Amino acid sequence: MRIGGITIGRGPHDLAGAYALDALDSAESTRFERHLSSCRTCPDLVRGFAATATELGLAAAAPPPPSLKAAVLGAVGALSSARDVDEAIASVLSAPDARIVSGATTAGGTATVVATPRGRAMVFTSSGLPVLPPTSVYEVWFIGSGGARPAGLVPPALPDIAGTTVPLHASGLTAGDVVGVTVEPAGGVRAPTTTPIVVLTLRA
Amino acid sequence: MEPIRPGQPGRSGPPGPPSPAAEQGPGETDLDALLALVAGGDQAAFETVYDRVAPPVFGLIRRVLRDSAQAEEVAQEALLEVWRTAGRFDPARGTAITWVLTIAHRRAVDRVRSESASAQREARVATADVAAGDEVADTVAASLEAERVRHCLDGLTDLQRESITLAYYSGYSYPQVATALGVALGTIKTRIRDGLKRLRDCLGVSW
Repeated sequence: MRIGGITIGRGPHDLAGAYALDALDSAESTRFERHLSSCRTCPDLVRGFAATATELGLAAAAPPPPSLKAAVLGAVGALSSARDVDEAIASVLSAPDARIVSGATTAGGTATVVATPRGRAMVFTSSGLPVLPPTSVYEVWFIGSGGARPAGLVPPALPDIAGTTVPLHASGLTAGDVVGVTVEPAGGVRAPTTTPIVVLTLRA
Repeated sequence: MEPIRPGQPGRSGPPGPPSPAAEQGPGETDLDALLALVAGGDQAAFETVYDRVAPPVFGLIRRVLRDSAQAEEVAQEALLEVWRTAGRFDPARGTAITWVLTIAHRRAVDRVRSESASAQREARVATADVAAGDEVADTVAASLEAERVRHCLDGLTDLQRESITLAYYSGYSYPQVATALGVALGTIKTRIRDGLKRLRDCLGVSW
């Protein structure tokens, strides 16, 4: 469909070309978009102009530096795993058998666990735990009849939310487990080396 | 981008046939379908999209910003926007490559118009704008697609061509174009519009 040849009078649709080339400021652009919804001929005109601008863009193609691909795919991987973690956390929080247990730690602050025994997973968060030197870390454990199994390191506190730590998702929860937290060397260890500052019993 | 097939008619003069640019070759998944996969979080599909669109995204942004380091930064933002917002792509409103390049161009223009970038850019633009119309040939002469666009740009009046290249390739707003060319605002609006119509018909753009 071609609109070429039609004489278009003065008015907002004179701006269709400038709009398609991003040559309007944001206020004009918003005004033009409002006009677009009520203008019979404009949408086709703008589509054709946008497709024409695309040809101008394709003509400027140039090989990007390899570092661009590494940066973009790296960021996408990170965003993607963050999304996976968010989804895993959401599924624990919304599990039909989800239960929440909270307790004060001997070091100060509060530890909180939301667990789904059926989903064999939990989410751990805390608030007000004392900030550790960079050489130490809070480590979370599933503690059952067979001993303690690592459930992950407590992530850093969120900025400006009263020392609340980023939720930690851990799977591998088994029936009868309690959840404990110890202070360990940075990087974490395979088995606890200190006495837990808090132990949370899920069936309480 | 698909290489242009040898012997294809219409390369020598307007009006040409619809451009094959950015269409997929046989056996390749089209960009629309890939974006749908990307919207669902498919990283492998995104890598294919990246390989297909990164050259025009980067090239266009560098063209507007005239600075490779800044272009890489803005291209990264634009490509991540493609990843994040792929679900908003609507095939009824245009092709996938147009959607992607619109994101890229807007980001480049935003950067150009932001205060922090403007000062450093002034100097680069000042020397380059004189020959705005010739840049197409200078930077992209190797590509047949570019040659075709160049040919169609040559078919415009000087004022149409300068208005369009300053707006699109230099990121000028149309009042800035009017000032740069010493022409009334209303004249620029109509020159851009009429020039784009001519360009659209010469390139045989389908939409």
